[in-house]
Amino acid sequence: MTIHAPEQLIEELKKLVDEGKVRTDADSLANFGKDWTKIYEPKPLAIVFPKTTEQVQAIVAFANEHKLGLVPSGGRTGLSAGAVASQGEIVVSFDYMNQILDFNAADRTVRCQAGVVTQQLQDFAEENGLYYPVDFASAGSSQLGGNLSTNAGGIKVIKYGMSRDWVAGLTVVTGKGDVLELNKDLEKNNTGYDLRHLFIGAEGTLGFITEATMKLTRKPDNLTVLVLGLNDITNTMDVLRTFQQSMDLTAYEFFSHQAMQHVIAHGGTSAPFDADAPYYALLEFEATSEQKMDQALELFEKCVEEGWVVDGVVSQSETQLNSLWRLREGISESIAPHTPYKNDISVVVSKVPAFLTEIDAVVREHYPDFEIIWFGHIGDGNLHLNILKPAALAKEDFFKQCEKVNKWVFEIVERHRGSISAEHGVGLVKKDYLEYTRSPVEVAYLKGIKQVFDPNNVMNPGKIFDL
Amino acid sequence: MKVLVAVKRVIDYNVKVRVKADNTGVDLTNVKMAMNPFCEIAVEEAVRLKEKGVATEIVVVSIGPKTSQEQIRTALALGADRGIQIETDEEVQSLDAAKLLKAVVDKEQPQLVILGKQSIDSDNNQTGQMLAALAGMGQGTFASEVVVDGDKVNVTREVDGGLVTVGLKLPAVVTTDLRLNEPRYASLPNIMKAKKKPLESVSPADLGVTLSPRLTTLKVEEPPKRAGGIKVGSVSELVEKLKNEAKVI
Ligand SMILES: Cc1cc2nc3c(=O)[nH]c(=O)nc-3n(C[C@H](O)[C@H](O)[C@H](O)COP(=O)(O)OP(=O)(O)OC[C@H]3O[C@@H](n4cnc5c(N)ncnc54)[C@H](O)[C@@H]3O)c2cc1C
Repeated sequence: MTIHAPEQLIEELKKLVDEGKVRTDADSLANFGKDWTKIYEPKPLAIVFPKTTEQVQAIVAFANEHKLGLVPSGGRTGLSAGAVASQGEIVVSFDYMNQILDFNAADRTVRCQAGVVTQQLQDFAEENGLYYPVDFASAGSSQLGGNLSTNAGGIKVIKYGMSRDWVAGLTVVTGKGDVLELNKDLEKNNTGYDLRHLFIGAEGTLGFITEATMKLTRKPDNLTVLVLGLNDITNTMDVLRTFQQSMDLTAYEFFSHQAMQHVIAHGGTSAPFDADAPYYALLEFEATSEQKMDQALELFEKCVEEGWVVDGVVSQSETQLNSLWRLREGISESIAPHTPYKNDISVVVSKVPAFLTEIDAVVREHYPDFEIIWFGHIGDGNLHLNILKPAALAKEDFFKQCEKVNKWVFEIVERHRGSISAEHGVGLVKKDYLEYTRSPVEVAYLKGIKQVFDPNNVMNPGKIFDL
Repeated sequence: MKVLVAVKRVIDYNVKVRVKADNTGVDLTNVKMAMNPFCEIAVEEAVRLKEKGVATEIVVVSIGPKTSQEQIRTALALGADRGIQIETDEEVQSLDAAKLLKAVVDKEQPQLVILGKQSIDSDNNQTGQMLAALAGMGQGTFASEVVVDGDKVNVTREVDGGLVTVGLKLPAVVTTDLRLNEPRYASLPNIMKAKKKPLESVSPADLGVTLSPRLTTLKVEEPPKRAGGIKVGSVSELVEKLKNEAKVI
């Protein structure tokens, strides 16, 4: 191998893709070198925009030859710095691989390039009388490749599962440069290890996902949202249990009064009712008949009688459904100006009440001066705990203080056999804490797998773990 | 003071409307229906008048198929006291709607009738005006503020380029514009209470009205498809395109 000057490498790189599809201007380097996190300084060598799987393969071969790091880049809405290029890597963006290639009505599947935006797939499904159920506030920007590489969850997991559950097949380019067709879109295919699931959630450390066949399902019928005011944080689970005993929910979210205040201050929606409650639950179901609605009303009454719920409203139209959802979906965006330190932790549902009580005690003790925003996909046992930076405190000092508290939070997570990253992945942000959730022996196996697919460590080096 | 509010069941504002293949109308099969947004505002205004002690009773009326009882129940949950459904599966055009409402006005003798300025399905913007004419009442249309003052109501109207405030003698007809108020959500306890509120069903014949549509719909078409957007690579490219292609800056 000969060491090339950066300019020479960039010239070589340009030969592998279409005209104009390598960028090195300062704007592009800054934009494409980072994701939603604001912790690391972006420092990529170049940004390259392939248009085909073959071009991706050529880029991988090039990286192996020159021992260069590659950072796969989707919609860059990731929250763990998985798509951050801070050590002179080449960013491989899927912005120009954004075509929906094929729709198979009989199989109810759709073949997409990795750069298809989540909402583009949702809209396509809807236009064809079907439904793609994976959804979250960033769906308008995030890409399928990013969704699958983080195995994104979101607001419908309680009924529809994670992104993983909607993948019929994948085309990948491994870190070694091989193109693999994984699972061939089959429903049943028990022929040894299912490599598809290794690439899902791999955060781009094993190779590139270049195409995916996604499953679709029937549209839900008359989705209806209730927003309930709760007396206490542990009532979230009482209410969940009560409803789940007799009906299927399509979503169950919770948020604190403070969280809601930020959304309302941000504009575009208003409080659901006059009575203040410290916490709110948002639940969604298919109100397919009047009986279903009556049933929901009875369950609500029971929750009020038990003293768990103070008041509640129900959406009477899709407009109201959307504005009630905004109360929950608008949280991340409304607190973003406060440079939040984000925790995305989970335990099994049965442990949530004890878990929340312990977390609450710890953050009260260790963050007395910081504003804490509670929300999350609590129906899945998933809590998004956000700590807001006081305006006067420097970013570095703030993150340092938060990292100190991490130890206390993650010890509780570990004790409850939970996860330090429920759905956002590990990336750079959580890699120091991986062993609170995965044992050292297990991590050694992970590294072994990485070695198989990417022996030269060109794929997203330094993400999830250091080798 | 008794207030009569008219509400209409229409395709939900958020639903993507699909035109039937034969262009005779809009496809309504399995489509989510809801209360017309301007009618929601009308109900909200009546409820606020009641909360202020100005209104004593709110009667809500809807014309349409049996399912329009759902929208009456919603209005009852929001604070109306009693409902009247004028049940018909026929097409109801503005003049017929106004005649039916006039019959209800004769029976109920409200001091104030509040309607939406238009329904988002047919977009006619006629019923309130026709009703005022038939009932011999004054009309304050496109209201952005309603203040009842003794035997008068002052209605601030949104007109091109500004606001006009008119004073009307009661009884009067008011039609609502978007900025009049922000409707509340139906609370669950109130939905339960609404189930027990009286809802009477009558037919157009009961009210002495024979529906006589005067218009025939010749054709319904979708608007032309919008041209796709383009992605720009940089701020300078964006500025360049806004200047030279879109010619907006
Ligand atoms: C407001 C907001 C709300 C959010 N809500 C949720 C939520 O509810 N649930 C949830 O799970 N997440 C949520 N997220 C996180 C984020 O949106 C998801 O992780 C999303 O799936 C990331 O997609 P992306 O295309 O933006 O990925 P990026 O950020 O671009 O990348 C994510 C990871 O995938 C890798 N990658 C990207 N494309 C490829 C590819 N083609 N091949 C291989 N690797 C690739 C990247 O290297 C990186 O490691 C939220 C984020 C925001 C900003």
